Amino acid sequence: MTMTPDRQKVDRDEVFLEYTKSICPICKTVIDGEVNAKDNKIFLRKRCSEHGQFEALLYSDAEMYFDSLRFNKPGTIPLETQTEVKDGCPLDCGLCPEHKQHACLGIIEVNTNCNLDCPICFADSGHQPDGFSLTMDQVEAGLDAFVRSEGEPEVVMFSGGEPTIHPEILGFMRMAADKGVKIVNLNTNGMRLAHDRKFMKDMSELPKRPNIYMQFDGFAERTHTEIRGRDLRNAKQKALDNCAEFGLNVTLVAAVERGLNDHELGDIVRFGIKHPAVRSVAYQPVTHSGRHVEFDPMNRLTNADIVHGLADQCPEWFRESDFFPVPCCFPTCRSITYCLVDGEEVVPIPRLVQIEDYLDYVSNRVMPDMSVRGALEKLWSASAVPGTEMTAEQLECATCGIDLPEALKSITDKAFMIVIQDFQDPYTLNVKQLMKCCVEEITPDGRLIPFCAYNSVGYREEVREQLSGVSVPTIVPNAEELQPVLLTTKYGSKTHGNGGGDADGNGAADGSDHVPADATNVGKNLR
Amino acid sequence: MSTAEAMPSAEELKLCCASAYQRDAVALILGDSYHPGGLDLTRRLARSLELRPGDRVLDVASGPGTTAFLLASEFGVEVDGVDLGDLTVAKANAAAASEGLGDRVRFHLGDAERIPLPDASVDAIVCECAFCTFPDKKTAAAEMARVVKPGGRVGITDVALDPTRLDAELQSLAGWVSCLADARPVEQYIEILAGAGLTVIKTESHDDALERMVEQIDARLVAFRMAKLPALAGVDFDLARERTAQAARAVRDGIAGYSLLVATK
Repeated sequence: MTMTPDRQKVDRDEVFLEYTKSICPICKTVIDGEVNAKDNKIFLRKRCSEHGQFEALLYSDAEMYFDSLRFNKPGTIPLETQTEVKDGCPLDCGLCPEHKQHACLGIIEVNTNCNLDCPICFADSGHQPDGFSLTMDQVEAGLDAFVRSEGEPEVVMFSGGEPTIHPEILGFMRMAADKGVKIVNLNTNGMRLAHDRKFMKDMSELPKRPNIYMQFDGFAERTHTEIRGRDLRNAKQKALDNCAEFGLNVTLVAAVERGLNDHELGDIVRFGIKHPAVRSVAYQPVTHSGRHVEFDPMNRLTNADIVHGLADQCPEWFRESDFFPVPCCFPTCRSITYCLVDGEEVVPIPRLVQIEDYLDYVSNRVMPDMSVRGALEKLWSASAVPGTEMTAEQLECATCGIDLPEALKSITDKAFMIVIQDFQDPYTLNVKQLMKCCVEEITPDGRLIPFCAYNSVGYREEVREQLSGVSVPTIVPNAEELQPVLLTTKYGSKTHGNGGGDADGNGAADGSDHVPADATNVGKNLR
Repeated sequence: MSTAEAMPSAEELKLCCASAYQRDAVALILGDSYHPGGLDLTRRLARSLELRPGDRVLDVASGPGTTAFLLASEFGVEVDGVDLGDLTVAKANAAAASEGLGDRVRFHLGDAERIPLPDASVDAIVCECAFCTFPDKKTAAAEMARVVKPGGRVGITDVALDPTRLDAELQSLAGWVSCLADARPVEQYIEILAGAGLTVIKTESHDDALERMVEQIDARLVAFRMAKLPALAGVDFDLARERTAQAARAVRDGIAGYSLLVATK
């Protein structure tokens, strides 16, 4: 008997974890996907019958990924859904009756126009003459849909484009508060805040002061020029100082790209903790939807990199175990920590409360204290905004569980929140996560479309086209491996070059129909 | 032990211990519903007792009742909790009622050295982070051996340390932190249990749980300093934090640890 050595069986170099659905990043057709673990990292792989195989990094620390899975709270059913189930996820957004969670946060993009033209912009906005600008009626229609769905919505975020240059923005914010929305967020680049004191005063006099959700990517000149196209350091500082002067709370929002500003994580939180207006920092690995710089999907930045980066760059305050997944959405999407701050002294809340005794929904059937769980759920949520009365109350209650009694009034003033949020893109989209998304784009036709579906599946292009009346090409990620087939659109984003039309979608085969076919449920059987 | 003269008498210690946990300042700093390892370690302890639904379990020093509720709801057992603090017992009974576990979980005012249960009346006993605080450990062990049925199991998690190897400052600190006051090395716990007819069949180290607790105490100290609580106006926080740093070092150096022991009668 002879055995040829080259005929020996070999093991796969990865652990197969799950079978799911995703989309082709080029044509956006719904296709099967598989999630695998390899080299302590989590990857999603999929194959489009027309465009071939794609693979992308989902989470760069497999152990952290697995550990986060138990922080998964049963979803809450919204009062009303907006669509029917017809083609299956992610083609029926939304929300459809099969969606697993209500909306913690609703986003209304009030315009496409912007006073900047950043090289990185998931909304593909800029000085563009052919976009849209919502009317008061359109915003009201969206808010009404949100209220019908949520009853008393937690948070509305006005975004764009650049919402501060919309002439009706103050009215929009007033209307949201009038309709019972508890917290209003204004997502801005801060340019108008830096120089328009009248606008600042008007905002500070709104019955419900907005929380300012301000882009803030770092301190290096290169960070500014590569992410924002201009050195905005002085303007950002001025905007923040104005917020402090007018009593507006700020969340610093850092878009973080690997090799660009991922060394500035620690400096950003140090700066934020010191600045009197800043109550939280949100780190977002750059979303490779819309317009962005060329990237490698296999080596993109993920939440785990931010957690490790913060522990490395800010070891005097933080370590990995201070960050806990948010259980209302899919737990790998978002991680949060809170800390108490007094001068240079910082105490992460998870060192005071054993968070996993409350937010581990898989093993815990008994609670040391249900009210503490309730409070922690509201803190570890997409709707938490520090500096608001609601969050202070929850902190008070959560810390009550650890017996910090009367002093809490003064202590909750010192609370600071850090959020880490990885949004999905056409490479990383996994319907399993999407189905439990609690951050929704509210459209004037009354839909609540999960943010990552909106950015990745084709809804953004569809809505822009409807609202502006101008044809919009299907946007494709600016991935290294796709360079040979990419064309640049007039907005600076990329589209597929072999679609039979020009870069701006005119005459493209997929023309105005941006929401693609489903290749997974095509009704075939074997015989 | 060099600190013997500084130590309160056995009876004083016991009373002080139970009332200390009801007293604000100590409860504030230590927290009242937490033991090293949290619920995860409680589950691990319960699994090593091989509990079966319907078993009767005694929780010695049951505190607010979290462990008893976990055992009843996740392992389907009936639980009797015994605690020295009358307020603690009343609160725990109220919590049992509101959890809907009033028919399966009861709490009694009682002393670990005079457990208010008949001989051979329970299938298993748990005792978390409390055995070290019992001044008369031999009697407490004998009481456990008395109430557990033959073949039944006793599960203990506790601070294990060699007091002679502690820094002098920590030794005197141990006098007022009840958890450390009379903790012993694991070998001594085994010996004491053996003396009562309880054979230790398993020991595990969970030092990381103790490290986390020391860290939690340190974090609480910082939080309290920020809060400027009038009740703690006289506390020297810097000194207190020096001690927690020493305690953390003692854990890292293997002088202090946290152990899980399972014994059988």
